[in-house]
Amino acid sequence: MLREKRAADIAQVLAKYPPERKRSAVMPLLYIAQEEYGYCSDEAIREVAEIIGCDPTEVKSIVGFYTMFYEQPVGRYVIDVCDDLPCALRGADKFVTYCEKRLGIRAGQTTPDGKFTLNTVMCIAACDRAPVAQVNREYRYELTEESFDRMLDELSQS
Amino acid sequence: MADLVNLTIDGVPVSVPKGTLVVDAAKKIENDIPVFCYHPKLKPVGMCRMCLVDIGMPKIDPATKQPVRDEQGNVVIAFMPKLTTACTTPVSEGMVVRTATEQVRAAREDILEFLLTSHPLDCPICDKGGECPLQNLTLGFGPSVSRFDYDAKFHNEKHVPLGDLIYLDRERCIQCSRCIRFQDEIADDHVLQFHDRGRGMEIITFSDPPFDSYFGGNTTDICPVGALTTADFRFKARPWELASTQSLCTHCPVGCNITLNTRLETKSGGYEIKRVMPRQNEQVNEIWICDKGRYVHHFTRAEDRLRQPMVRRDGRLVEATWEQALQLVGERLKAAGTSVAAVVGDRIANEDAYLVAKLVRALNGAIGMSPSVPAHYADVARAFGVGAHANLAHLGKGDVILVVNGDVEEQAPVWFLRLRQAVVDRGAALVIAHSRSTKMHRYARAIHRYEPGYAARWVADRSEELIAKESLKDARNLLIVFGDEQLDGPSARALAQGLANLLIATGHAGKADSGLLPLYPHANTQGVFDVIAGADRAAASNGANGKVGADLRSPICDSRFEVAWLIGVGDASDAPSAGFTVVQELFMTALAKQADVVLPALSFAEREGTFTSGDRRVQRFYRALPPLGEARPDWWIAQEIAKRLGHSWGFQGPAHIFADLAHSIPHYSGLSYEVISKSEPQWPPMGRGDLYYGGTVYDNTGGLGARYASDAERDPAGVRPYDGAAPEPTIAGLERRPRPLYRDGELIRRSAVLASHIVPAQEVA
Repeated sequence: MLREKRAADIAQVLAKYPPERKRSAVMPLLYIAQEEYGYCSDEAIREVAEIIGCDPTEVKSIVGFYTMFYEQPVGRYVIDVCDDLPCALRGADKFVTYCEKRLGIRAGQTTPDGKFTLNTVMCIAACDRAPVAQVNREYRYELTEESFDRMLDELSQS
Repeated sequence: MADLVNLTIDGVPVSVPKGTLVVDAAKKIENDIPVFCYHPKLKPVGMCRMCLVDIGMPKIDPATKQPVRDEQGNVVIAFMPKLTTACTTPVSEGMVVRTATEQVRAAREDILEFLLTSHPLDCPICDKGGECPLQNLTLGFGPSVSRFDYDAKFHNEKHVPLGDLIYLDRERCIQCSRCIRFQDEIADDHVLQFHDRGRGMEIITFSDPPFDSYFGGNTTDICPVGALTTADFRFKARPWELASTQSLCTHCPVGCNITLNTRLETKSGGYEIKRVMPRQNEQVNEIWICDKGRYVHHFTRAEDRLRQPMVRRDGRLVEATWEQALQLVGERLKAAGTSVAAVVGDRIANEDAYLVAKLVRALNGAIGMSPSVPAHYADVARAFGVGAHANLAHLGKGDVILVVNGDVEEQAPVWFLRLRQAVVDRGAALVIAHSRSTKMHRYARAIHRYEPGYAARWVADRSEELIAKESLKDARNLLIVFGDEQLDGPSARALAQGLANLLIATGHAGKADSGLLPLYPHANTQGVFDVIAGADRAAASNGANGKVGADLRSPICDSRFEVAWLIGVGDASDAPSAGFTVVQELFMTALAKQADVVLPALSFAEREGTFTSGDRRVQRFYRALPPLGEARPDWWIAQEIAKRLGHSWGFQGPAHIFADLAHSIPHYSGLSYEVISKSEPQWPPMGRGDLYYGGTVYDNTGGLGARYASDAERDPAGVRPYDGAAPEPTIAGLERRPRPLYRDGELIRRSAVLASHIVPAQEVA
């Protein structure tokens, strides 16, 4: 139970909001849940709903809207590559194809060993240094096939 | 008026109150701006873009702050660079709206083309087909051909159960969010939301249980496409095959106006109800009904409805002709003399109760009500009930709503919706006194508690404290909603009297939007009381024996009579013991099985009549179905029995009976079928030809009803507080458990669609 495992963190988040507005804490609490379980599981969504006193449907809707909340289990490393138009003009679309080939999965999937999840995402505000990816939220700029291979090797060893 | 705003729409001048939205202002001059997401009962969101119009304002000179004029002296209008949503833009002085320009026409066509890119166009099998706003608006404003390839359509799940009562067709959905907003803003059950975004956006529920709301059916009415359908009606009929009859819901004291949609069914041997829909009456239910009212209709054509009179021969009930049965009842009544007791259920029409009481009075018998508790306080509710012109929509800031010992959502669901809006949207203060928690508690400013059964004692002891603490004397209005759960008759009476005293003490007695609102069990509790108690008063003033009304509060079920006549008492468990029992019913109830004669009655759907709602509105219902078998209306049966006893009344039907009733019952004088059948256009317009709903079921042509004045209104000088202390709770009272909406009963049991929702009597807590 999230409430027991992360009691201090939850209390810290809730303290930022007046008690009658505690539903505003939904996003920080979902991040805690995602940290704890690796993704926003159905169980986690119901726990968060209970903590903030709203219907689980409302929490599910928020998880569904924001791409950084995962509804399915993800790999240890989540690689989000932007393939919006400006990035694509700098070769992001071809880069994604390479990533898929190299990892042996399609965008949106996780490698069978549970190590990597590849996603294509909307603008992450770094077109000037595209192709760009976030790996577990950390930016990697001006990626190439070679630098991607190196990155995978590093991550595989860690 | 100072806060009227003047504008022109397509050159037509219109003046509307400040804050009115352009779309509503246009409605006032019958300019229907097409909409999908906008609904006049919901807050605007501007999501669908269908209502785009061209809006301009007078150009203001920044230096002089005066409108700029051209050479001819006309005010120069500065139009917005792009089209604007009429549903989110409030009117302003001098505004010019253009809805008939080429730009607007093209915008509407574009929006429809987009909406139809993935709409399945399965109209031939869609429940909404024929009364679908998307169909209507496409025909009116859409492109004649689509540039999209049918094979390129985005397909989606078609039969998604959101709960056991509502199905979602994801590819028909146009994401207008009316259903989500209804559940959020009106029902306050937040069980529907959007999930994902863009092309992937869809309606979901993640609640447990899923879409489970007493008001869920309303989402299928306001859905502008066939995305939401009810488990009860889906694939059952096409809207254009249905006949509509103006009717009333019978299940609670609200008196919701409904439309019964019927169709000829060869296999069931006649017409049957295919669907129950709300009928607009802004003073009663607006355009809402609860799911009980929507789904409990199946009893009307249940296989086991009584179709033939039955008499007991050699210990067994066997079928008989009306002549045989009436003859027998007549003989037994003749032989019984005055040892006759009638018990009348509170679902039967005023006209039925009136003739039963008339006959019992002629026989000098006794009469009682079932359930008997409301008879103990219905006169108090009538004396201090809400004013003749009260409307829950009037309540808001400065008003206090006091709920005592009642569960408004369970016992009068549509009052719950309307009272909640008075509190949440318009700022009325809610004070609750109850022995347990209810959904209404969410909105309370103050909550008071007492032990179960002690409601009357609590009110008697704490009134002064309550008046001071909640500043009840300073309130603009004081509306008191009260229930009788866990109270016996004397305690329920003491509670009603204590609350009436509270109205008097705070100066609210007799005020238009103040007064008592009783949570009676059924649709005609007040009416049956009025009619049988009032008939007695008339008799008393004529010098006749006043026994009828005197017995109303006495426990006739504890006495023994020669003949007991039980009319529509349903699954009531107690009855007077008698040498000979006649039961008039829809079903072979436990009491009917024990009876000597069982007479088959017609349901409300098969006849006409009137009900008096919990707030004393007398309303008409009309015949939707042909009679079933040999069953007859209760008034007809009473008149035929009277005939066997030598009373030839010669009433031709309910209208004729009502004229006599209104003549002899003082509270009903001035009321007639003509008065209560009057209708007037409702605002917001929601009926025929309107774009918010493609069908005609909301049309109210059967009458808005009329409320008779309370005693406190009629005779303010005669208002006196009641005296007498509240009695101790009794076991009998405590055993009257709270009544949940889906409590088990003879009628709800016949609706398979609600089977999993029924709360068995022993589990009621």
